Amino acid sequence: MVKRLSDMPEAEARHLQRLECPTYDDTPALAGKPLAGRRVAIISTAGLHKRGDRPFRPGDGSYRVIPAETAANELVMSHISVNFDRTGFQQDLNVVFPIDRLRELVADGEVGSMASVHYSFMGAFPPAAAEPHAQHLAGLLKADKVDAALLVPV
Amino acid sequence: MGALCHFLERQGIPTTGISLVREHTEIVRPPRALWVTFELGRPLGIPDDAPFQRRVTRAALDLLARTDGPLIADYPEHIDEPADFSGWACPINLAPSQVDSLEAEIDRLATWYDRAVAALGRTTVGVSGLDMPAAGKLVTEALNGHLPTAQALKEATDDLRAYYLEAASAFPDAGTPATRKKWFWDETKLAAALLALQPRLAASDDPQHKILANLTMIPASERHRLG
Repeated sequence: MVKRLSDMPEAEARHLQRLECPTYDDTPALAGKPLAGRRVAIISTAGLHKRGDRPFRPGDGSYRVIPAETAANELVMSHISVNFDRTGFQQDLNVVFPIDRLRELVADGEVGSMASVHYSFMGAFPPAAAEPHAQHLAGLLKADKVDAALLVPV
Repeated sequence: MGALCHFLERQGIPTTGISLVREHTEIVRPPRALWVTFELGRPLGIPDDAPFQRRVTRAALDLLARTDGPLIADYPEHIDEPADFSGWACPINLAPSQVDSLEAEIDRLATWYDRAVAALGRTTVGVSGLDMPAAGKLVTEALNGHLPTAQALKEATDDLRAYYLEAASAFPDAGTPATRKKWFWDETKLAAALLALQPRLAASDDPQHKILANLTMIPASERHRLG
């Protein structure tokens, strides 16, 4: 069980400690509807995309589009990092991108609805490179009536 | 991950997220984060365990009701380390001395890869657009001094790695993900090729080759194998 960086193998912990981690002024957490009335989009930072889409590259702060109906077999991962496990993703997409779990929560009425489109960034981006893309993405989410984003790292 | 939460929430989209590295989240301070103690690469915890994944998903979504952020909630479930099969050995005779080339190794794994795809119903191979013999040829050519672009080599080697590990998951005695990764780095010609390529890429004048050599080809946990 990994609890803290100090519990990780030294080489991996050193690598993680070197990653750029900016601080931000606090962002007020917005109020909203109960979960059963929300429309939720998944925003992954696992470098996922449809096979044939443009792979991610070092420094890439852009996102790829994953329509909700995308079959699991269409999704590949081009995250530049080799310092995390990929066998879980190879075995089960949902351990990285919980699209079927979200679909079940909607079917059971626990979540209002699911976005028609989900998105993936590649988490090794310099934050400044991702910010304009994220601002654009916020507009797309609003156009899809999304009022909650579930961010899933890798 | 946390930076995106700031960017989206400031644009009016309420966010919640999973945190795999608490130290990072404590610095970035996104509005809401659910900290989990799972292995990197497995933010939902356990493959093929839908109830577990659903509990994690629901716990992250439940944080949306809170407006007292920035907050980090600790997820209460943990996962034990998988059993250590240190005596595990690949039951297929793929030791580097048993095949005379990378191409032969790739070819020998094809039937196991096909079985894995049949069992899993999918594959994660396919970033590079190359078939595996062509990806192997790119690596061999690189070893022979014809370095392709860093991006082409990265995509080909990531595809090959996925191909090897998916194939190994279909071996009759497949062990655990950890033992399969150990097999990959201990025994395969592909891993030997990646380790042999690293110093050549590091010595290249192309800064993208240097990034590949120093960051994005050999995992931090395996760099001790470099000479």
